Amino acid sequence: MKKLIALLAMMASPLAAQDFSEGSEARSWNLYAEVPAKFEATVVDLLCTFTGDCPADCGAGKRQLGLLRTADDTLILPMKNSQPAFTGAAVELQPFCNQTITVDGLMIDDPELGANNVYLVQTIVPPGGGDKIKANKWTKNWAAEHPEAKGKGPWFRRDPRIKSIIAEEGYLGLGVELDEAWIADNF
Amino acid sequence: MSLPLAGHAAEGTRIQVTGEIIDTWCYYSGVMGSPDAVVGSAHHTCALWCSAGGIPVGLLAEDGTVYMVLKVGEDDQTAGGDTTLKLAAHTVEADGMLYERDGLNYLVVSDVVSDLDITNQNHDDYGNVPPFSIPDPNK
Repeated sequence: MKKLIALLAMMASPLAAQDFSEGSEARSWNLYAEVPAKFEATVVDLLCTFTGDCPADCGAGKRQLGLLRTADDTLILPMKNSQPAFTGAAVELQPFCNQTITVDGLMIDDPELGANNVYLVQTIVPPGGGDKIKANKWTKNWAAEHPEAKGKGPWFRRDPRIKSIIAEEGYLGLGVELDEAWIADNF
Repeated sequence: MSLPLAGHAAEGTRIQVTGEIIDTWCYYSGVMGSPDAVVGSAHHTCALWCSAGGIPVGLLAEDGTVYMVLKVGEDDQTAGGDTTLKLAAHTVEADGMLYERDGLNYLVVSDVVSDLDITNQNHDDYGNVPPFSIPDPNK
């Protein structure tokens, strides 16, 4: 029995001991639960993974994607790209739909809050190697899709859909009248 | 070249759950403040920005469980799509399929049974989060 336990421990130890921060060059965002993490993973369409609904392009950047880590078959949820601009990761990862890449970035690890295996992608090494690609294409893509919104200031101040909702519901989402009164009292 | 994966489904559980549609990055990362401050009316504008920006939206249930929303009705565009954008900060009653994997809960919403609009009016407690989410009219 002791031999069996020792054998199982030996088999388990390479995964249990794996440190995904080794070799990471991720920049800190000074987040309290951030952990640098660099790993190889396959880009997967999450809806495909769970429901079997699998378009060839993984949803063209409009579906949420996952990173299925090669080392331990853990499904990671990439929530953020590398831009400090309220921008997600699906657009950055979609060109590598169903392909195996190496990503570097920050894992957010706060089990008490439920943050398990959630990730900020900073760089991507394409399948087969090559130069690192920065995961920062989102705003460029947005600008190409919204030529009518060209102007000064960040994208989120100019986005037509956001502007439309705020015009209708206010910044607080409770109506323009309440909004105006609150702003008058607090600014 | 990308090829579609074989379409086999995982085993899910049908659930009915009530909660707020939240911006999961701000909620999990703490980048904008405490979890209580990055929900509700205080965070409505930022929730719009993050939803439009393609950050995953979640459903924060009354017991504190977060469900990552992958689809709402027929709309599978949860990375910046219209349906989830319009529900930002709203409390909804949802019926759907739950898939649990590696410590996260993924929810495919088949039906938003009711949309209760914004019920968490916490702006007097926390102000607008982040403070620049409302442009200062005096500048």
